[in-house]
Amino acid sequence: MIQELKGKIIEVLNLEDVTPEDIDNDAPLFGEGLGLDSIDALELIVMMEKEYGIKLKNPAEGKEIFKSVSVMAQYVNEHRTK
Amino acid sequence: MNEPILITGMGIVSTIGLNSDETLASLRAGKTGISAIRFLKTAHQEFPVGEVAMSTDEMAKRLGIPEGQPRTRTQLMGIMALGQALEQAQLTLEDRAQAAFISATTVGGMDMSEQFYPDFLSNDLRNDYISQHDCGASTEGTADYYGPFASVSTLSTACSSAANAIINGANILRSGRHEIAVVGGSECLTKFHLNGFNSLMILDEEPCRPFDKTRAGLNLGEGAAYLVIETAASARRRGVKPIGLLEGYGNACDAYHQTASSPDGEGAFLSMKEALADAGLNPSDIDYINAHGTGTPNNDSSESQAMMRLFGDDLPPISSTKSFTGHTTSVSGSIETVICLLALQEQFLPVNLGWKHQMPDGITPVTDSTPRHPLRHVLCNSFGFGGNDSSLVLGRPDILDIPDIPVIPETPIFITSVAQISIQEGLSEAWMEAPILYEEPFVRSRDVDFKQWLSPGESRRMGKLLKRALATSLTAMRASGVEHPDAIITGTGLGCIENTENLLTHLCFEGEENCKPTPFMQSTHNTISSLVSIHTQSHGYNATYAHKEASFDCALEDAWMQLQLGRIHTALVGGHDEMTPQYFGLLCKTGYLGNPGQVAGETAVSMMLDAKPSDKALCQITLVRRCYRPSLDTLTQVAAEVGAVDAIVIPNIGFASSPLMSLFASTAAPALLQYKNLFGESYTAYGLGIYAAAQVLSHQTLPDAMLLPGSSRPAKLQRLLVVNESGGKDFTFTLLEQH
Repeated sequence: MIQELKGKIIEVLNLEDVTPEDIDNDAPLFGEGLGLDSIDALELIVMMEKEYGIKLKNPAEGKEIFKSVSVMAQYVNEHRTK
Repeated sequence: MNEPILITGMGIVSTIGLNSDETLASLRAGKTGISAIRFLKTAHQEFPVGEVAMSTDEMAKRLGIPEGQPRTRTQLMGIMALGQALEQAQLTLEDRAQAAFISATTVGGMDMSEQFYPDFLSNDLRNDYISQHDCGASTEGTADYYGPFASVSTLSTACSSAANAIINGANILRSGRHEIAVVGGSECLTKFHLNGFNSLMILDEEPCRPFDKTRAGLNLGEGAAYLVIETAASARRRGVKPIGLLEGYGNACDAYHQTASSPDGEGAFLSMKEALADAGLNPSDIDYINAHGTGTPNNDSSESQAMMRLFGDDLPPISSTKSFTGHTTSVSGSIETVICLLALQEQFLPVNLGWKHQMPDGITPVTDSTPRHPLRHVLCNSFGFGGNDSSLVLGRPDILDIPDIPVIPETPIFITSVAQISIQEGLSEAWMEAPILYEEPFVRSRDVDFKQWLSPGESRRMGKLLKRALATSLTAMRASGVEHPDAIITGTGLGCIENTENLLTHLCFEGEENCKPTPFMQSTHNTISSLVSIHTQSHGYNATYAHKEASFDCALEDAWMQLQLGRIHTALVGGHDEMTPQYFGLLCKTGYLGNPGQVAGETAVSMMLDAKPSDKALCQITLVRRCYRPSLDTLTQVAAEVGAVDAIVIPNIGFASSPLMSLFASTAAPALLQYKNLFGESYTAYGLGIYAAAQVLSHQTLPDAMLLPGSSRPAKLQRLLVVNESGGKDFTFTLLEQH
């Protein structure tokens, strides 16, 4: 799941210069780390719904879930509907 | 301070009333117009909206528009509101023919495009609506219903558009170009906007609660509102009384983010401060603020900070009337100006509906409509995506002697740098020596390597047009040595059409699920101007015009006027349009592109303008005139102002044989020059015409390919008239002279 998510993050956010190996499983995705912003968070929310059937109502929830790829992977495994 | 401007008419159509009397009654009764969706065709029935209580067909019927004639909701609401304003101001046909019309919109004809897009692509049933899609078409359709105006322009800076249309109109009056301007805007609800805002997760499923601790987003609204503004001299001459005053105005850029406001509300703070200074007032003179107050957590917190910074502990009564109307996006500036004028006339405070809980670190809005002090001056805020922040100061009309606006003589302005990326070699003047000539009907830009301008991280979301616009802007700024221009003004006919197409295609063929925020954000016309501001941290004036083939022209005119007025000293002016294969196909159907001998291209052109001469100047601009459906008299007058020229740069081959030519070639037959054979046709190609003429004057070299076949060579290269023509009715004349 972690590898799958890294691939999807790179694809959805068009991170041309980033490889899956560059993304630390536990490093923050936002602010420092990958340096993503609020629009990236919204793009990831769309991806979560499209790929895993996970609907987030509030962008603030994203903040917790997108803390790191590990946290994200755990959330997806627990909540996915497809 | 600057002289106040008279407001002599107003018209409004919104969910709380189809005219100003109904609007007033709703405001006084505390009756919101926000309710469940009635007319908009969308799957998202969960969102309450502020819909105008009439179907599009009912509006057309009421206005006597025959069935079968293309109509868009934006245009129809605009026509309804405009009629009220013209009537109240008692503008005759002759008055209108002398007045400027500046209208704001961001969706234009999108309500129909989103219904008929599959038809556009696959059959010829709805071709009439293709040319109704863009913002400029809405403005022209609204203007033409009432007969000709002297000039028409379309402003598109997201949710501050109509406020900026008012500012542009006021600058037109102060610069002495016209004595009357009709300003405002129109914007209808669309599935496109609803889904776009939903993708940003800023819509509330409950009625919005601006400035409340529990606020959870905005409700979209729609409507139209226009004002007639004029000089004191004109109102005296016509014998009309003002209904209010525009005392001052300001526009600044937050330069923070494409869709979010900065935590300390820097742009909002600067725009309010500028408006007060322009009006010659202190914060303590303001008796009411109609806040932007969308009800999103981000806006209301940022705007609160900005107001608290400017007003300190002495905050005037504040409310957001979006709790009545919903967020009418591009038109909120003129709708809320009308609300402020009603408040001044009737001496009441429009309340902030739905407010219950104090937000931490935020303002406390008014919930009681009785003012403690008489209302003399009120401030109206409108903020848009990209941090485009505008503030207007409105006042009562009972000042006894309103001073006349002083006459400002026009002086030359200077082009200090130019840069282009187009179908010729990008960021290069190679075309002057070795132009590339094309046979194909459609060619895409010859892009440069953008890595030197942008890191991959920065460019991850940007379409090609944004990259081109940034590269030409930064090149021009570096060449002129200006790091933060006083103004960044952009013309774009279609904006980032690839993004618009992307979202439209998604909505029409995949439905209203999983819409991505990036295409929506970048479909906003002012995303280009905002990007340049954010990248260069420029907090100055920021505007975007989306007015068909005259989009660049509007931007140039705005810069010209403000440089004359001394409001700005430097301006970055750009013209930016891209073209996709799919949209090229649609524009061939309208007859705009795909014509024999025509090459459709893409444009990214930027230039720095300066009020002062310098060694850097490539040439000077000594005249900019725009006219809409001009009479022979008007054109004769422009030709007389222009005088003898060495060459005329024409917009198309057909223009060479137009009867207009005899007006400008009366004394000696000037040479005729062309540029679209080199740079192609696009909505902002006129910017490339100015670019090419500036290079010719600067290098004192005329590339052979620019000489129209059969034309004599100009004897000298000192005065070049660059003409634009849009749809055979909209003309621009710019005179460039050797420096």
